[in-house]
Amino acid sequence: MTHPGFEAQLDAYLDGELATIDARQLEAHLAQCPECARFRQERLELRAAIKARVPAFQASDALRERVQTALRGASRVRATGRFGAPVVWRSLALAASLAVVALGSWRLALQRAAGETLADAVLTSHIRSLMPGHLTDVPSSDQHTVKPWFNGKLDFSPPVFDFAGRGYPLIGGRLDYVGGRSVAALVYGRRQHLINVLLWPTGRGPTFAPATETRQGYHLLHWTTPDYTYWVVSDLGLVELQDFAQLLRQADSAASGPAAARGLR
Amino acid sequence: MESSELARFEAVVLPHLDAAYTLARYLTRNAHDAEDVVQDACLRALKYFDGFRGEEGTSARAWLLTIVRNTAFGSRRRQRPDAVMLEFDEAQHSGAVADEHPEAALLRSAAKESLGRALDRLAPEFREVIVLRELEGLSYKEISDVAGVPVGTVMSRLSRARTRLQQALREEEGG
Repeated sequence: MTHPGFEAQLDAYLDGELATIDARQLEAHLAQCPECARFRQERLELRAAIKARVPAFQASDALRERVQTALRGASRVRATGRFGAPVVWRSLALAASLAVVALGSWRLALQRAAGETLADAVLTSHIRSLMPGHLTDVPSSDQHTVKPWFNGKLDFSPPVFDFAGRGYPLIGGRLDYVGGRSVAALVYGRRQHLINVLLWPTGRGPTFAPATETRQGYHLLHWTTPDYTYWVVSDLGLVELQDFAQLLRQADSAASGPAAARGLR
Repeated sequence: MESSELARFEAVVLPHLDAAYTLARYLTRNAHDAEDVVQDACLRALKYFDGFRGEEGTSARAWLLTIVRNTAFGSRRRQRPDAVMLEFDEAQHSGAVADEHPEAALLRSAAKESLGRALDRLAPEFREVIVLRELEGLSYKEISDVAGVPVGTVMSRLSRARTRLQQALREEEGG
């Protein structure tokens, strides 16, 4: 048996959920306790077995359609409900709901025509990438595979990094079209969350520190360096996403010139 | 609700439909009930969508999974009250995770158990933390929000559930 009371802590440690100080104490203990070390080994094996043999499921197309139909039906009822639907209105309820639908899409179309904001475009790109088969054009965790893949497809060569050691492995890259130009999209992972990094050359504009936006439950971070405009978007918690953005900015400034690299060291 | 509102809802929620179905599938343990739960949960989510948008820091995935989880537990209670009583029975439930209990010996003798079946046999509150962590990749904090229990409880439930699954794995390899 391992030391009672330690198992849950060890699990939390392996899950990356233990505070730094506790984690250090635990590591010290692990180094000198063969039983706890064996416990850790068994837990790692269990995790691998779960990953290999306990499947995540996919919602079938039939279920997707069923859900969408149900949602449309429900939202139509709600729209009708907003008109109050007293007896006199009842015969007009359907017409009214149709009018609301039509008005809604007309207004949406107008907004679109007036030009999507960049944040909208970035968010759209992220959501589209989450649909099956849209995530990467070049799926690879190797930055030396992903970076050259962009050659000849873009008029710039985007900096690509791998942060697997920090818990943000590179998953791949793809081409995307945002704000009226082709951009590089790099995909990173964090547990089951996906992070999209969109970037393109800065048109000699001023540099900005990161700004944060939250839309529809997604966080968007945005900043510009002397070379590139960066957008980072994910459903990951804001704190972790900011941590990731910090890694990216450090790596980028280290890579962008020897002077900057010296400054970091 | 206007169609732009519905479009926004769909853009936020539908990317997480696979995650929703996976959780529902493991909580209900069959495909048919899982689909019903997902549909009901999405309709509920639409109803509460106004309340979601303002919140900062809550991921859409965790938010939807909370609704799926509550829908699954609610529908089980409605449809099969006896089964639920049995599953939440204290003696059986601690037997499913603690090795000194006689129930565990019975389980062990029941030949080789696959890992998937071992997961199905866990009491629901243990099964859900495994699925939320290992398959959905939620943080302890997010799991605590979804399951409505403190982070400390998440931590101890996860650990006990893993110990039980590990036993099943060992039996499988040993037997």
